[in-house]
Amino acid sequence: MKKCLVIALCALVAFALFGCAPKAQPQSKSPTGQESSSKEPVPPVSAPAGNKDVILATTTSTQDSGLLDVLIPLFEQKTGYRVKTVAVGTGQALAMGERGEADVLLVHAPEAEKKVVESGAAINRRLVMHNDFIIVGPKEDPAKIKGSRSTVEAFQKIAQARALFVSRGDDSGTNKKELELWKAAQIEPKGSWYQESGTGMGQTLNIASEKGGYTLTDRATYLALKKNLSLVILLEGDKSLLNVYHVMQVNPEKFPRVNAAGGKAFVDFMVDPETQKVIESFGKDKFGEPLFFPDAGKPDIY
Amino acid sequence: MDLVVQGLVKAFRLLLSGDPEVLEITLLTLRVSGLATLISLCLGVPLGLYLAVARFRGRELVVGAVNTGMGLPPTVVGLWVSILLWRSGPLGMLGLMYTPTAIVIAQAVIAVPVVTGLTMAAVQQLSPKLRLQVLALGASPLQFWWIIIREVRFGILAAVMAGLGSVISEVGASMAVGGNVRGYTRVLTTAIVLEVSKGNFDIALALGFVLMVLTYSITYILTIVQQRRRRW
Amino acid sequence: MTAVLEARDIVIRKGGRRILSIAHLAVEPGEVLAIIGPNGAGKSTLLTVLACLDLPTSGAVFFHGRRVTRANALSVRRRLAVVFQEPLLLDTTVLENAAIGLKLRGRRREAEAKARAWLARFGVGHLAAQQALTLSGGEAQRVSLARAFALEPEVLLLDEPFASVDVIARAGLIQEFKSVLSSTGTTAVLVTHDFREVSALATRVAVLFDGAVQAEGPPEAIAAHPRWGALANLAGA
Repeated sequence: MKKCLVIALCALVAFALFGCAPKAQPQSKSPTGQESSSKEPVPPVSAPAGNKDVILATTTSTQDSGLLDVLIPLFEQKTGYRVKTVAVGTGQALAMGERGEADVLLVHAPEAEKKVVESGAAINRRLVMHNDFIIVGPKEDPAKIKGSRSTVEAFQKIAQARALFVSRGDDSGTNKKELELWKAAQIEPKGSWYQESGTGMGQTLNIASEKGGYTLTDRATYLALKKNLSLVILLEGDKSLLNVYHVMQVNPEKFPRVNAAGGKAFVDFMVDPETQKVIESFGKDKFGEPLFFPDAGKPDIY
Repeated sequence: MDLVVQGLVKAFRLLLSGDPEVLEITLLTLRVSGLATLISLCLGVPLGLYLAVARFRGRELVVGAVNTGMGLPPTVVGLWVSILLWRSGPLGMLGLMYTPTAIVIAQAVIAVPVVTGLTMAAVQQLSPKLRLQVLALGASPLQFWWIIIREVRFGILAAVMAGLGSVISEVGASMAVGGNVRGYTRVLTTAIVLEVSKGNFDIALALGFVLMVLTYSITYILTIVQQRRRRW
Repeated sequence: MTAVLEARDIVIRKGGRRILSIAHLAVEPGEVLAIIGPNGAGKSTLLTVLACLDLPTSGAVFFHGRRVTRANALSVRRRLAVVFQEPLLLDTTVLENAAIGLKLRGRRREAEAKARAWLARFGVGHLAAQQALTLSGGEAQRVSLARAFALEPEVLLLDEPFASVDVIARAGLIQEFKSVLSSTGTTAVLVTHDFREVSALATRVAVLFDGAVQAEGPPEAIAAHPRWGALANLAGA
């Protein structure tokens, strides 16, 4: 009788420990030696003293597009830091910065960013790259926005036709941009044609695709997800659709627990010419066109 | 339909090839949820036993809280634990945010009321006279609790199953306090969410398949142990 | 002759209500004291207190002249045994059930042999390996009795032990029980409201009414008493 209970308990303990063992050395030599040879022998350029963890608060677009999957291992290998990427909307990422919960931010809402810098929560804000927003929608284009001369005109047509528009509604960079555009079009988006998904870009695209609605998206995420979507690009290239990414450190003087060295290392890494080259070539092989355009060192007019 | 077939094929390939990342995510999931369940067992069983037997002022309030807690939304737990563990929070100096430990804590918070409530219910199903009988047999307090635990062992087993089931399939808290950091705090559920938002439905399906196989086998083993004795 | 078990000035209150008030009740060595009375008279409460499972609100129980306190209750309990109306067997084998009391007392080596002997004595030796919860009501109560006798208690306390045994099996079990009692010379307290059990087993009777002992005496005297005899017959009917 006791046996049953003992067996069950042992199973649970074993189960907890068994998961534990391999985790202890996540990046140690793999028996094949193949992977490790590419990772292991390169010693960190400068082993960081003190806190090894860097918390990066960033937008879903950088993660969902796969860019971070390329950049983060590169950074970790170069510097020896471990990056904890928390991919959330730009609004939340900035809020994390304002509370000192992150060490470094990679976001795309210039106006909101400036406020954070002015408040003293962030320092060392640097231009990294841009891509552009596009308006996508069903091929049939019920509101006939294709060929519009400006984004404002396209938005006005959508509102007039009361054609379904799916908004992120999550205070992300994309969402902020979208609201700016509605404001410029002098339309208060409201009504059954305007739906807020409250999710990330990927999900929002899926919803727009399923429901046959329009949405504003960054090009990178759209290209990465294109294969599953029945959405086409209906408007692009308008100046107002520029999507600019900045990187910035959370101010260690304001928040003593912030990893200052790690944050600075990441900012330096993002604007490093070598990294900028990686950004430039990212996605070319897969999508035939780059997803991001490196901007480091250019005058920051945003 | 295509997607389902594709997903299953991919799942099989991922499992057979022993993809290191999938393996790592799976092991982390097991470790984190197993540990959280173990903790909830250590806290929930004594608490459940105590609440079932004790008579004190305000007991109804506590029992009510436990019963409410059995249905705690993981995202809410995630938020609370985040507030505690944030750098600006009361436990910020421990630096636990976005670590597997943080997930263990949040999941334990989710599982403790489940284990407590089910243990309490199991004890309360015993005849109240049985407690007198055990004392009358000459049991010391320690022996008394040991016998009571033995009497409700299957109820406790059910509590463990329910606790493990509730945390291993939970996503809100893991996402909030773990942050879904690749190779560090990414568990099966958060990985599924990510793959869905990346549009990799096939990988998401594969991971979902792994998760279901996992929960099924755990539950199956526990069920076997439980059923082996109920032969009549 | 000092009493084995003695209740002095016991009062028990529950929820502000006085449910038991016993000025004096003694259990002498070798006797079988039956406690009878209508439902709600406080019989089971009295037995619980005598078995040292509960301390009275005021007054005390004395075991061999020593006052039972919270501190020594466990050691006193280990010299007593209790059989309740339901068998209350543990979810394990029959043998383990019969042996558990001795094991709890740290007497592991003799436990199983004694348990087997007592199971056999009550005619359930062949069930030793079975799961206790699969037994019928009558079989289970026999195991419960064997479990109590295996402890060789100085006082055996029984709370309506035959009430859950079906009528056909009851008379036989009472006879077996009686022969065991007399061959072992066990002192016993039997709570019942069945006067046939009283006349079969008891050497002395205490009548409990409204939480107080109203009469005490040999069974014949109680049965002959105009008031208590009627109660006894009513209860036995």
